[in-house]
This record gives sequence, C-alpha cells and structure tokens, in this order.
Amino acid sequence: MTTPSETIEIKDIERLRAIEPRFRGLESGHRACQGCGEALGARLVLQAAGPDVVVANATGCLEVFSTPWPQSAWRVPWIHSVFENAAAVASGIEAALKAQGRQSKVLAFGGDGGTFDIGFQAVSGMLERNHNVLYVCFDNEAYMNTGIQRSSSTPHAARTTTSPPGKARMGKRHLKKDLVSIIAAHHVPYAASTSVAYPADLRKKVRRAIDIEGPTFLLVHCPCPLGWGHDGALTIEIARLAVQTGLFPIIELERGEVTEVMPLHKPRPVVDYLKTQGRFRHLFSDDPRALEEREHLQALADHNISTYGLAIDHADPLDSEEADTVRRGGLVS
Amino acid sequence: MQQALEGSQAIAKTVAQCRPQVVAAYPITPQTHIVENISKLIADGVLDCEMVSVESEFSAASVVLGAVAAGSRSYTATSSQGLLLMAEVLYNIAGMRLPMVLTCANRAVSAPISIWNDHQDSMAVRDAGWIQLYCSSNQEAVDTTVQAFRISERTELPVMVCVDGFTLTHTLEIIDLPEQKQVDAFLPSFHFSRTLDPQQPITLGTLVTPDYFTEIRHAHHRAMLKAADEIVAADKDWQAISGRASGGLIREEGAKHADTAILAIGSVLGTLREAMAQYEGEKIKLLTLRCFRPFPEDELRRMCKGVKKLIVLERALSPGAGGIIGAEVRAALSRMAQPPEVYNYAAGLGGRDMPLDLLERILKASSKPARDAFSIFDVQLQKLPAGER
Amino acid sequence: MSAAKKHVMTRGAWAEPGSSLAFKTGTWRVEAPFHQHRCAPCHDACPAGEDAQAWIAKIQEHRLQEAWEELVAANPLPAITGRVCPHPCETSCNRGSLDTAIAIHDLERFVGDAAIEHSWAYPWLAKKGSRKERIAIVGAGPAGLSCAYQLIRRGFAVSVLDALPEAGGLLRSAIPMTRLPRDVVDAELKRLFALGIEFRPRQQLGRDVALEDLEAEYDAVFLAPGCQQSHGWDVDGATPPDLHEGLHMIREWIDLGSIPKPASVVIHGGGNTAVDLARIMKRAGVAEVSIITASGLPGPDTDPDDVLNVVPREFDEAVEEGIVFYPHHTIKRLIMRGSQTTGVEIARLKKIPGAGGKKKRIAFEGTERVVHADMVIPAIGEIVDPAGLEELLDHQPYFHPDEWGRLQGRTTVLAGGDARGDRGTVSAAIGDGRKAAIAIAAMLDKRSLPDESRERIDVEALNLNYFTPAARAEPPKLKVAERTDQAEIIGSLSEGEVFGEADRCLSCGNCLACDNCWNYCPDNAVLKTVELASDGSHYVFDFEYCKGCGICAKECPTGYIRMRPEE
Repeated sequence: MTTPSETIEIKDIERLRAIEPRFRGLESGHRACQGCGEALGARLVLQAAGPDVVVANATGCLEVFSTPWPQSAWRVPWIHSVFENAAAVASGIEAALKAQGRQSKVLAFGGDGGTFDIGFQAVSGMLERNHNVLYVCFDNEAYMNTGIQRSSSTPHAARTTTSPPGKARMGKRHLKKDLVSIIAAHHVPYAASTSVAYPADLRKKVRRAIDIEGPTFLLVHCPCPLGWGHDGALTIEIARLAVQTGLFPIIELERGEVTEVMPLHKPRPVVDYLKTQGRFRHLFSDDPRALEEREHLQALADHNISTYGLAIDHADPLDSEEADTVRRGGLVS
Repeated sequence: MQQALEGSQAIAKTVAQCRPQVVAAYPITPQTHIVENISKLIADGVLDCEMVSVESEFSAASVVLGAVAAGSRSYTATSSQGLLLMAEVLYNIAGMRLPMVLTCANRAVSAPISIWNDHQDSMAVRDAGWIQLYCSSNQEAVDTTVQAFRISERTELPVMVCVDGFTLTHTLEIIDLPEQKQVDAFLPSFHFSRTLDPQQPITLGTLVTPDYFTEIRHAHHRAMLKAADEIVAADKDWQAISGRASGGLIREEGAKHADTAILAIGSVLGTLREAMAQYEGEKIKLLTLRCFRPFPEDELRRMCKGVKKLIVLERALSPGAGGIIGAEVRAALSRMAQPPEVYNYAAGLGGRDMPLDLLERILKASSKPARDAFSIFDVQLQKLPAGER
Repeated sequence: MSAAKKHVMTRGAWAEPGSSLAFKTGTWRVEAPFHQHRCAPCHDACPAGEDAQAWIAKIQEHRLQEAWEELVAANPLPAITGRVCPHPCETSCNRGSLDTAIAIHDLERFVGDAAIEHSWAYPWLAKKGSRKERIAIVGAGPAGLSCAYQLIRRGFAVSVLDALPEAGGLLRSAIPMTRLPRDVVDAELKRLFALGIEFRPRQQLGRDVALEDLEAEYDAVFLAPGCQQSHGWDVDGATPPDLHEGLHMIREWIDLGSIPKPASVVIHGGGNTAVDLARIMKRAGVAEVSIITASGLPGPDTDPDDVLNVVPREFDEAVEEGIVFYPHHTIKRLIMRGSQTTGVEIARLKKIPGAGGKKKRIAFEGTERVVHADMVIPAIGEIVDPAGLEELLDHQPYFHPDEWGRLQGRTTVLAGGDARGDRGTVSAAIGDGRKAAIAIAAMLDKRSLPDESRERIDVEALNLNYFTPAARAEPPKLKVAERTDQAEIIGSLSEGEVFGEADRCLSCGNCLACDNCWNYCPDNAVLKTVELASDGSHYVFDFEYCKGCGICAKECPTGYIRMRPEE
C-alpha cells in the first residue's frame, strides 16, 4: 500500500481523523463492498443523528459488514438481535429509556428485507404503539447479504437470483411494494423517502425526524454495486438517476398526507437509469418482451410523477433538488 | 400475607413487587391473566412500569431483549404457540447473556390445537440456553418468580419459570404472598453490566467466526452448570427471608431409604403428594424435579443412591425417541456404579386429568419389568384404529 | 480479522466501539484516488497563455486587482485583448456543454478597464534593472510590447524600436476605434512604458538601423516587425487600375479619416481586415458591400479550420449592419468597362486536402455568377517587409521560428507575431512575445526552457450535475442605427454582472472545497483539512481505509480527483 507523495504524512492523518468536523458514527474499517450505498447511507444518518442515540439493527449486510467480532465499526450503542425484530427491539429500548427517564433517541435500522418483508409486522406494531423511534430502512431492493434474492422491494422486472429472466420470465413479476404509503397510513407524524445521492436532503430529514416525538420513518435508497450490477464508482450517479426518472420519488408525508416532494425540473427517461445496471440488462435485448417491460417501467415512473406532482418547472430555493449543487448560478434574478 | 388468589393473579402481583420497568404483553391462553393482572396493577398505579402491548410474541421477546439491553429489569409471559414463535429470540437472548424472567404457562403445542396443559412447549426450547425452573404449586410459582430475577441477574442467564397452564394459573388457592420489603431486601436494583449507553457505547450481537464461536458456547455451558449453585443459594436466602423453601434443584419427600423413587415435574406433584399418604411407611420417595436446566446430574445421582427402581413421569415426549426427561435421567444415571432401573412414562398430555389413583397404577405397572423403555401411560388405545396403536 | 492476534472472548460476544479501525481496508484497493490540477480548456486555448480559470477564480472572490495581476502574468494588455481577441477560450469553455460559455472576453475587458481606472501597477518578477543584459526588440506592436514587458519585469534592460512615431503597431493603425478606443490603447501602453522600457521611434530596419548593429550592441534581438507588405493580388493576372489594398485603406481611414465611397464594393478576403473595412465602408455610406471569401461562416457545423478568421461577434455585427457574405467563393474574373470595374465573376470554392494531405483550392466549374461592384478591394493578408531582413528571410514571406520564437542557426535572434505568418491575432502575438522573452532569459541564464506542456481537462471529466443552468451576461451593444465611426459599439458589463458571470465559471480542474468527496465516501476515507494540503486542496485521502471505489472521482464537480492504478 503506497502513500502518494502529495498527501500529508501519516501522523497528521490520525490528527485529522480525531478532529474531523463530523460525527463518525460509522467508523472506517468496515467490510462493505467498494462503493456500497448502504454504508454511505448509514454513515450519513448517524452523522446527522449525532452520538446521543441507541441503535437496534436487523440482520443484513449493514450488520454483518460492520460487526465481525471482535471488531465493530459503530461508535454509538448498538444492538443486533435477529432479522425480523429491529423495530420490536427498538420499542423495548425506547420503553426502557422512558422508564429510566433517559433522553437518548432510539433508532432502528433495517434493510428492505428486514423491513418490507420479514420485519413488516414489527414495524407496524411499533408505529401503532407510538414509540418515539426513528426507523430507517436502507433500501437496496433485494436480500443482498444472502446473495441477491428478491424482496417485495425489488423493482418490477429486475433480475435477482430468485427472479431471474428466462424463457418464461422477464425478471421480477411483481411490483415494488409502496412501503412509504403503508407507513404513512399508520398516521405517524412523519414518513419520508430519500436517497444517498442527495445527502443534504437525507441529513435534513434525519434531523427533522429525530426532533419529532413519536414514530418516524425514513426510506433511504441505496444502490448496491454487486447486486445491481454496476461499478462501485457509479453508486451516486445511479441513485441520482433513480430519483430523476421518477422511479424512486422523494416525498414526505405527515399524518398520512403528502406535504413535500422533491421536484423534478427535468425528468429523465427510465432507460437512462435501466441501462446503467446489469440487473436490467435483459430489458435491452431484441426480445419483444423487453420493450414491453421498458414501457411498463416508464409508465410506472410517469405514474409516480403524476401521483406526487413531481413535474415542477420552476425552482424554489427551499427545495432539496439543488441543495447539493455547487452554487455557480450566475446572476441572481 | 395469605390471600386467596388465582395463580395468575398471584404471579402478577409478585412480578410487580420485583419492580420491572418494562413488561411486554401478548395474549395467549392460559397465560393471558398474568398480563391482564399486570395491566390492572399499572392502571391502578400500583406498578410504575412501561407496558408494551406488542403485536406478537416474537415482538414480546424482542421488546424485553431491547429493554434489558437498555438497562431496565424486564418481564414477559407466554405459552405454547407463543413460546415457539419467540424461539429464535430466546436463543438470541441467552446467547447475548441478557438477564430476564419469562413465565411460561405450560400448554400443549399445536397441532392438534389444545389450550390445556402439558410441557411440550418449554421442553421444545430446552436447548435455547435458558435456565428452566418448574413449579409444582402456585406458592412455589410465586416464590420461584422472586428468586428467578436474582438468579438471572447474578448469572446473566435468562430464567424461564414454568407454571402449568390452567392447573396452576387458573386455580384459586391460599397463597402466602411476599411483602414488598421482603422482595426489596432480597432483590437489589437492576444493573446490567453491558447496558446500551451513549456515554459508553458498545456493540452487542456481533458476528462470530469459527475461531471464537466454540468458546462462547463453552462459556455459556459452564455458566449454566455453575448456575446450579446460584439456584440453591437463592432458594436458601429467600427461605431465610420468607420462611418458605421452594425445593432447590430437586426436592426429596417420603421414605429416607427408599428403594423406589418417583421423579416428576409440575403440578402433578400436588396429586402425587396427596396419593403418597397411602404409602406412609413404605420405601417409596417422591422426587420433585424443580430445576430442569441446568440438569442437576449430581443431585439426581445422590438421591438415587440405593434406589432400585426409578419411575420418571413426564408431561411431554420426543416423538420417535420417547421421554425427554427420561432420556436425560438415564444418561445421568448411567454414570452410577449401580443405577436404578428406570421406568419412563408420559401422562397428562394435552391436559388429560391425572387422578389420585395414578400413583397406584403406575407403581403396579412398574412392578414387572417394562416392556418398552418409554410409554404413554394413560393412552386409551381403543380410541385409535388398529393400525395406529 | 487478524488471525495472528488472539483475542479473549467477551461475554455475549460484545465488541468495543470503533474497533474496526484495526482492519485496514486500504489493502483492498486496486485503484487509488489522487488530486491533479489539470489545465482548464480556456487556459489551454488562450494564445497568450493566460490561465483564465485562475483569474476568474479571483473575480469570484471579488479580488479584482488580484485577478488582473494573475492575468497580466501572461498578457499585459487585457483592456485591449478584452476588446479585440476572437476568444478561443470561450469556444473551448466546458460550460458550453451545460448552457453557454463564460463571457471570458467581457470579463477580461472589465478587469483591464478597472486597472486603468484604478491605476494598478504591474507586478515585478525581479528587481528592476538587476540584470546587466540588454535586449533589442524590433516592432512596437503587441508581440514586441509583450516581449519587452516580460523581459523588463525580469530585470533586463529593454529597447523597443519601431518605424512609426508611436508605439502600438496594428493596435493604432488597423483596428477601428469602434472596436478599440484609442484612449484605451494610450492608457495600456503608458503603463507598460512606465516600467522603464526605452522606446526608439522612427527606426526603420534597413533604412535607419541594421540588424547586425543591433546584434552587436545588444545581448539578444527579438524581431516582431509584423506584416507591412501586402500580398500580391491579381485575378488571373489582372488588377484594377485603381487598386487599393484593404489594410492600407483602413490605415488611411484611421489616420486621415478618408475612404473611397463607391456605390458598391466587393472585398476579397476572410479576415478581420476584410470585415473591418466592409463595416467602415458601409457606415461611410457605401450602399452595397459584399465580402467574397474562401472560408465558411461561423456556425455550429463549420470546421474550425475552414471558418472566417474574425472575432465571431464582429461577424454578427457585420451581418446586422447589412454586409453580404459569399462564403466558399473565389473571384475568377474581373469585369471591366474600360478602366472602370463593373463587377466580378465569382465561383464556388472549397479547400480540399489533396494527395499528401496538403489543402488545394478547387473552384467548381458550373457555379459561376456575376456580382456587380464599382470597386474590388483585396484584403487577403500581408507578408513581412523584407527590408533589412533579407539574409534572415531569404525570399520567404514569413519567419519560421520554433514555438519559443527561436530561429534555426541563430542563438541571439528570435522572431514572433504576425511575422510568423501562422498567427493573425493580437493574443497570439502577445503569446509569442512572452515565450520569446522566456527563451531569451533562459539562453542568457544558460538554463533549459520550462515545460509548459499541460494536460487539458475536458467536459467528460467534470460532473455537471452539481451546477445549475444560468443565463450568460451580455454586454450592452449599440443598435445599428446608433453606430458611428468613433463610438465603441460594444459596452462593458457592470461590476455586478461581472461577479455574477464569474460565478458561472465551473473552475475546471480545481478544488472548490464543495465537500462532495467528503460527503460521499462510504468509508470515511476522505478527511477535511482547514489548512491547505500540499496538493492545493482541502482534503486528504486516508489511504489506510480507502477502498478505491472511485465515487469521489466520479462526483468531483471539477474533475480534480482522478483514479490511477494502485502500485
């Protein structure tokens, strides 16, 4: 391992790590793949949440790559129990802290498998009982830790090992479960979707949710280079395209009503997103079904855009779409 | 203080006296009255506690897991289907060495569905790594519950207090309830060494590779074996405060130098004790197995010295193998120079009544050599088609 | 997990916080990120060698004087070039791929004008007069002045000779006031000569001074005499009896104010001279003014090698003013009535590469037509006046120095500017002067020449997602009806517009401290520094943990982070 000559010496590196002006809730040295969207998502969430939290984490990639005994990448109090009970464990922690009169905020972390599927019941129970917990679902759209199997969050037509394309099938038959709506139907104070491609939006939403007393939910879209079939360097680009095509709408709901959306000033066609990933490669063959599926996905994106009113042609300084841009906007109008 | 109470009610009051901060509740017959009574105590301001009415037993166990990890004494109760549903979490709690108490109101396990008492449920999770204590009376249930919290917190092993469903939980008895100050004298405030605390963050529930997994299991096994001392000490110390003994690991009653012994667990012992009246003076003794996990091998062998015939009566079985307690007893006794002959029966499955004359019939059946190592004593074969007998 | 170190098992397998730092994921890398400042296309394209991105960065910080100081490191006459340069920087500007190129030309003019207004002084590179060597420069045009500027700032003594009584060359004699006001020329040159450059006017090579004498008296000589002699021009051997050459006409008009006013005129040529003359004549009252040129017109599909050699906005204004263009045409025949020109026969023409790649002019038979005109004026370019330079030129129309101005077989005589034949703009001349000065200084110091090779950063290396589209600032322009022979047609941007326009610059190849790399690294392997790191950025890669995923490089808006194979 080389240290190129243009960097500061190693002893300065330790000083820089120590004085880094952000909370390193997820530390370096974890075993996530190169370019892992979920690792980035967890790092961003804890950075915004700060150290005064207790985390209950479901089984999955995030848990496995961060806690190989005797090492842990977490700098917050953190517990992993089993696959389906992050929300229930978090409920118990919250009840205990309440009984003890302690103020720390409880967070529950789960992947899409542990949230949309096997942990769904526990999430619903936690929401119904009004626990003061922020549940963050890191959505990489499949059971990645076990080797890329479909979950109810996997998008329509995507390839996974349990939804492979072939003569009789074109990838996943079913649609992506609309979890945020289901969460919102519990009339919780706050439920939102966000993406690792929009870190300012993500951090804002974490802080907003944490400040609310009661159950809150964040769905964080996290590309998985291995599972989605793309180079690790493209993680942000692909996450951005998912949002800009309308396939992954960024919305906020309070007590079941949509109160805010991230506008798409210039929606991109879904093929721009699909062609970047190996899991959609079969949609670009000469197979007539491939065209049909591309159209279906475009229709789903268009449906999202119209359902949530995402096509807004004027910019608002308060919206998050450009919050991460470098402000080189020219004349102030 | 003596009171006429339903078993569930007594257990609920005792749990409240142990000052849990979090209780998880999910209804299942015949445990439901326990959590209902606890709810009432909270509602009446008697118990200051967070009651989390979860949406399944899986979550009940998970809530208690989280609450203990966050530093609060916690409790839940369940039976049968609920116990099996939370099985994954039970292993998890024990593997993480989290101290807590769970009351299992023993009930048969579906299918067929039955709401009545047997021990198939708690026996099914005997390998989860929990301490299992079986109560033969409601008084014992009350006293054992208090002891369970201390045992659990000192050993950092979770304790399952098994109480026969309906037979004990729904029976009205005169129970000598502990006083709050007695419980306070016996049970210090809860302190868990690995509490989740932002001031001193740690990581619980890590992934362990083959290099280190064996050691964790070894440590757990050793801790369970050593817990026997703690179980005995808790019984003695509580007896000093309350005046009541609960039977330690195994309670011996009857003839001092018996050549026949009957080993049983649970409420059947109430019946057996009554039936023993007619065998006064004979060389028969009754062994109440109170502690099933850890399995008290040494104590058993000691009590079987000189015994020629040991009858093991249990209320569960392992289909295709036979008795569960019987197999473990035989294994333990095989290390004796002159082990007694073991007769192993299951009876009372699915809540079948165990009448007073059961003892007599078992003793009679055991007077000749057993044809099978194990049999279901009270099966009525005429109720089965010929091919299935 | 290290197998070498044995651990003692903790109860329930709990783990210490942050203990993963013991596992150095940097060992996973096959590629590593590094910071590299690459040359912005504006810098690469500038013939004078300006780093426009660097001085625009100063404007972004509202440091106008520092912007000017950065600019004049390469070009001492920004108020001039900011009015006359064809701005290839703008053509190559990466922002053009997002919305529109930065108005670098107008920014340069503003900065140049501000320097005049505030009397800013040129920065010195060495103590004045610290060197004993003396250099002679022939020609006080932009090339000569630029060379003088660079040498005197380095401490040398410099004498500039010119045949004319005033310095400035084409700046005074050939560029119309409507484009370049004379008071601007005066101010820029006054500041320049105030450095202590000796001016020897009315010194014509050959007539008043010999090259050999200069070589003897001075330690080096830079020849920038420009092209003072018109190209010979005829149409199939014929010329009109009243032949006026285009550049000569412009000079006369500037000096004396007089210009012929035929009813219609055809100008043959495709450079600034042709267009300037056309506009002067049109404004003077000539009803029909046409330009016949072999080049193509500026447009999105035009090959840059084939386009009209004018500043694009000059072309736009010419069209506005009613000049008619015949691109890709040549004059085949003069139509005379007696001694009076009545028209020209023109035909379509293309410059087509022939055998060996050399371009040939091919006129296409069957495309002939007649254009009526009372006057035909050639404006097809000039060559070096060989007087006093016979030995050096050896019957060639131009010098052929290397990129530093050095002539083969000569160590102390260099040449540059229009006299090279392959230049043609003030900025290129300024660039030649600068490089010749560096070559002379290196020769006198017996040092090797600096390496000015640069890797340019193209738009594909940028991430435009992080920039929002914004309109380009446009300077005010006199309406056609308001245009005269004297008033400057294009005005200046306001200071507010300048700051706003500078903010549009993408800062290609530089760290903006935008925090993208720091925000997006999943492994905390980018550390932020308050101090400037040795590579000029505010970030340090933590190579103990960097897995080389490449997200930072992909999301860097300015292409400052690159990936290279791990050694």
